[in-house]
Amino acid sequence: MAVTPTAALVQTLNGIQFGFILFMIASGLTVILGILDVLNLAHGELFSLGAYTAIGVFGFIIGVIGPPGGGVVGTAVFVLAVLAAVLVTAAILLPVGTLFEAVFLRQIYDRDQVYQLVLTFALLLILLDVKKFIWGDSSIRTDAVYSAINTIPTSELVGLNYPTYNVFVILVGSVVVVGLFWFFERTKTGRIIRATAIDREMATAIGVSTDRVFTLVFALGAFLAGFAGAMAVPPTSATLEMGTNPLVLSFVVIVIGGLGSLRGAFVGALLVGVIRSWMITLYPPGEIAAPFAIMALILLVKPEGLFGTWGETA
Amino acid sequence: MDSTATSDHDNGGIGRRQLLSAVGGSAVAAALAGCSTLLSDGETADQGGQSGDEISDEPIQAGLLTFTRGAPGVLGIQAQRGAELAVQRINEAGGVGGQREIELDVVNEGSNPLDSYNQFIEEGKEVTFGPISSGTHSQIAPEIEKNEIINVSTDGTVTTLYEETVPDPTYSFRFQNYDIMEVVTMAREAVERIGADNISTVAGVNPGYSFGEDEMRVFTQAIQKLTDAEIVYEGFPELGASDMSNHITSINNEEPDVTFSSLWGGDVTTFVRQANANDMFENTTVFGTTLYSAAGDVPGDALAGADIYSGSRNYYWGKPALGNWQPGRELFDAATQQEGVTVPTAHYMSGYGAVTAWATAVEKAIDLLGTYPSQEQIAQVLEGHGFFTPAGYHNMAEDHQGASNSFAGQMVYDDDLGAARLDDVNTYAATETAPPPGVTGSDWLDSWSA
Repeated sequence: MAVTPTAALVQTLNGIQFGFILFMIASGLTVILGILDVLNLAHGELFSLGAYTAIGVFGFIIGVIGPPGGGVVGTAVFVLAVLAAVLVTAAILLPVGTLFEAVFLRQIYDRDQVYQLVLTFALLLILLDVKKFIWGDSSIRTDAVYSAINTIPTSELVGLNYPTYNVFVILVGSVVVVGLFWFFERTKTGRIIRATAIDREMATAIGVSTDRVFTLVFALGAFLAGFAGAMAVPPTSATLEMGTNPLVLSFVVIVIGGLGSLRGAFVGALLVGVIRSWMITLYPPGEIAAPFAIMALILLVKPEGLFGTWGETA
Repeated sequence: MDSTATSDHDNGGIGRRQLLSAVGGSAVAAALAGCSTLLSDGETADQGGQSGDEISDEPIQAGLLTFTRGAPGVLGIQAQRGAELAVQRINEAGGVGGQREIELDVVNEGSNPLDSYNQFIEEGKEVTFGPISSGTHSQIAPEIEKNEIINVSTDGTVTTLYEETVPDPTYSFRFQNYDIMEVVTMAREAVERIGADNISTVAGVNPGYSFGEDEMRVFTQAIQKLTDAEIVYEGFPELGASDMSNHITSINNEEPDVTFSSLWGGDVTTFVRQANANDMFENTTVFGTTLYSAAGDVPGDALAGADIYSGSRNYYWGKPALGNWQPGRELFDAATQQEGVTVPTAHYMSGYGAVTAWATAVEKAIDLLGTYPSQEQIAQVLEGHGFFTPAGYHNMAEDHQGASNSFAGQMVYDDDLGAARLDDVNTYAATETAPPPGVTGSDWLDSWSA
């Protein structure tokens, strides 16, 4: 089929937007893997927990400030309120991550990796039941955020027909990327985390508390998963099974980028997002297979992934 | 919405004996047809079928396989509530054969439906209902035949089930109109609404598994017989997909005259919301077989300005108008009292009708035999069995496939109802939408003259 330049641009933007959501999920997974050496199978459920929690937080905050007011100020207040709700949601996931690491994972770091897999799978099932207990079986959603943000003109100003919420995701995702790289490259805490990733024993020898670093990293991973869940849920619904596909695709992303590499997760997520998007455009039946085909190709050509493992650079 | 109720107990002069005879001969049949209030003197509770001396009063253990959670639960719970209401009415009418109440065990169709079905059999269920999914149905249908325990499926409407998977079934029956019927309904509806001359391009967005592929294949065949349309795009998002924007952009790129969709449940809501945000309805008119399954889920602002026509399989609550049809009024009122039912959709009738088909067949068999029938005897009676529900008259054809009228109309949001409704509803007879018995769907469509 013939693809017009406008459709090509919109499909690429669709892919980038999906890629940013994927990056927000995969970044937490890869940071935990790179530093704790733990493949967290419960990460998709943390993402899902973020989505469920966000619906309540969005409802509360919009209930307080009301629907978006007219004019630039009213719109700006609403967008900032949505951003605040996303951050609050992610912050709620911090103690969840802390609890998981301190109470469960810490006990089995010196055991074989299969124990970690079993444990995180158990946490996955527990979180699934917790969600069911709190929110029930049925899917839930928030309508106000998606429809309200879409009323703000953005792409229309340049003659494009593209939902403003997707633009919002791309912008916020860009800030998250910059923020994460800044954190790991420029801050003392970030450097300590990287040092621990490079040489755990040496970091301990110079006085770094690995327990504290590990807890911080796991909590950060949960924060990012919650953030991603809150950003992803407004155009769709929160469902009990929603954590499964993002977890699988995040594995694909971090294998493509290099296990534990933040830079690799970013490139891998955008690659998967855009190629999947173009696959749907040109050959729709290849939608599901496309990310796995890229992964298989990368494994054949560069088995350590595009950017190797976590360490000298983020 | 026309919600004027007729007066209760207005039987229009028909006598009790005549009424019982008309709906199948027993109070259970009358209750399931929604006519119990037309019986005089409150005699419904002890007027089951003619119970023979050998019928025990042991409850009938029945199982229902349906989706009870997640995006598919939007319609799976409808089927559950429909089945529960039918069971409640049977039990209140004295039970099957006037003696045997039904105990319904509901299990989530979920990720291991075959295991759940086998569990039902191990537990000694006398009858099973469900499933919802075509994929599940294709899995369990051969098992049903092997186990020789009757199943009346609520949905699982894949066309090839009785053509290829189980070509000569004995114990497997399907109540709801199947894929070819609902797809042909929507192909005819598209021609009716837009006109054959105005349909030159068609796109499709359908669920990425056997059901969606089956529906798109049949729609392509039907619409190309009715028009000169070219298929310009076919997308198959996976079940429960959170992002459909790529498919929507492709449709915007092609601007097809008609977009066909068999998305269902929560996927409809996601699709309609994202389509509206991408102004897709400015570029195409959507015709879908099961879009109305999300009637209670899809938000009003997403339907504003949307150009959508949906089928409603063999039941639409507003046709005939509730004020003119007391059984429909009572079903609607009872359904909307149940948890999780904003308005009863076709999937509600799937559950209700599957139970009704089986129970009325057993009652008929008891009348014939004077004793409780075996599985084989019930199966024989079910073949060609006619029965009433509040949706009207249904026939379980010799090929084990239910055949009923189909409904389709424009999907709009009703603020008073707090849900979507269908406007300007068209009714299509089964003879217009289903192949004759013994003819495959594909051969039937091939035989249409251009």
